Amino acid sequence: MDILTAFFNLVPITFAQSLVYSFLVLGIMIPFRIIGFPDLTSEGAFPLGGCVCAAFLVAGWHPLAATGMAIVAGALAGATTAFINLRFRINPLLAGILVFTALYSINLRILGRSNVALFNIDSVFDMISPNLITSVPLQIACFAVVLGAVWVLLRWLLSTEIGAAIRLIGVNPDLAPSLGISLWTCTIGGLALANASTAFGGALIVQLQGYADIGMGLGILINGLASLVIGETIVGRKTVTRQLLAPVIGAAVYYQLVSLGLSLGLHPSDLKLATAIFVLLALGLPALRGGAIQHERLRV
Amino acid sequence: MTQTDGGKPLLDCRGLEITFNPGVADARKALDGLDFMLAEREFAVAIGSNGAGKSTLLNAIAGSVSLDRGTIRLGDRDLTRLAPYRRAGLITRVFQDPMSGTAAGMTIEENLALAEQRGRRRGFRAHLNPSRRDRYRDLLRTLSLGLEDRLTTQVALLSGGQRQALSLLMALISKPRLLLLDEHTAALDPRTADIVMQATLDAVRQTDVATIMITHNMRHAIETGTRLVMMDAGRVVYDVSGAEKNSLTPEALVERFKIDNDRMRLNG
Repeated sequence: MDILTAFFNLVPITFAQSLVYSFLVLGIMIPFRIIGFPDLTSEGAFPLGGCVCAAFLVAGWHPLAATGMAIVAGALAGATTAFINLRFRINPLLAGILVFTALYSINLRILGRSNVALFNIDSVFDMISPNLITSVPLQIACFAVVLGAVWVLLRWLLSTEIGAAIRLIGVNPDLAPSLGISLWTCTIGGLALANASTAFGGALIVQLQGYADIGMGLGILINGLASLVIGETIVGRKTVTRQLLAPVIGAAVYYQLVSLGLSLGLHPSDLKLATAIFVLLALGLPALRGGAIQHERLRV
Repeated sequence: MTQTDGGKPLLDCRGLEITFNPGVADARKALDGLDFMLAEREFAVAIGSNGAGKSTLLNAIAGSVSLDRGTIRLGDRDLTRLAPYRRAGLITRVFQDPMSGTAAGMTIEENLALAEQRGRRRGFRAHLNPSRRDRYRDLLRTLSLGLEDRLTTQVALLSGGQRQALSLLMALISKPRLLLLDEHTAALDPRTADIVMQATLDAVRQTDVATIMITHNMRHAIETGTRLVMMDAGRVVYDVSGAEKNSLTPEALVERFKIDNDRMRLNG
């Protein structure tokens, strides 16, 4: 019973964290599901957002400006992956690997050393309320509002003419030219948007935790994919609204499952193995059952 | 023949040359110094055996293959170096494969909206709204396929003929100056092919859009269009219009050019 009590005590704080990780999962979902581009950039864009934000905070920038720079950096990373794929005709997966590998060095350069503490520096959260760092309900309320705003913005964007063009790229890219849609513009724009969201998540996590670490992106992509798969299992992906809800709900459930696993004695260093096996099972089971549709849809 | 009222032609292709696999043993000239002109409101039907260069000509006009040599003009615009997606507002196509002309994973109304916005700058306006839906419903009604009640149906659920009819609507909804039909009824069963062909003829007549249609069906070639163009080895080898075209019979056409291609059908 002690184990479960420990888990239940952690539910609110885990939920607050999962709201922040939702930005990452949204940033993974958009390329994979909407643009049909299996983009791995987030593995580097997430720590990039954190490192850029931390570096600007240390340099004395306003927390909002530092967070804004993180978003811009993430967008650039996503655009770079798209450009490498389009210009050099390099496989999307490899383009993403190239970018996140390069970003590891870049992140280290930006941060100056492998980790930086931000304890005496004001974050965006201190601007909202000095109590936010210690008050979990306040965190939940604050993150929910920001996430809700971003979610509504994304939902609106996808219902515009530009959003429909981006969605077409994911459904039938060969048709794009004859509909007057530029594959370049939509792919670059879509990946920039997605990784901007991922980097925003990284910037928020760094400010919430009070430190930036060069290794904070390690395996983050698989965590995000696991969250996405869980969310899609729960709400489905039949409509754009459901597809957009899946990352948020998936992140909430996934991070509770992780917390439960840790409470039950799962060693933190085994977490990535457990997550990888979970993602494999979730994506692989439909294929084993003979239904290859889900498998094909992932386009990896 | 290709000029009307002594004015400039709408489409003006000069000296088009495209070689596939250049420098290799099986290098093949798909277009060999081809000149082709088309006037406003003209409806040209292109025939010729496989490899004659018909599809390559349409691809060159649409921009999906690049020219080794030559120029393409449409009205006042030089299209030669224009990216395909930038030509889409001027030139639209219906492909042979019903799958490639529509977006299967999107709804009928979304497909029509995407097609309607081609050639215009896409913005942050709503992709769909009630007035657009009403317009799409009216357009779909003209097909008499019952699609007007299925605006929110995924295109993946439509039959090949329905998808092809939708492709046709999508090609015309943005009011192009030139319509390219690349054997757009060839993948359909004969009855559906006739329905789609009839819808095509009605639409072309109503909009007066200049059209190039590729067909392997001799009956369609004889009965439709205002002009008949036969291609061989990347050139135009026969080009008739007016009374001379109207007097053609399939037998005479086949006899005259000794077409021994199994895809040429007298009664399709």
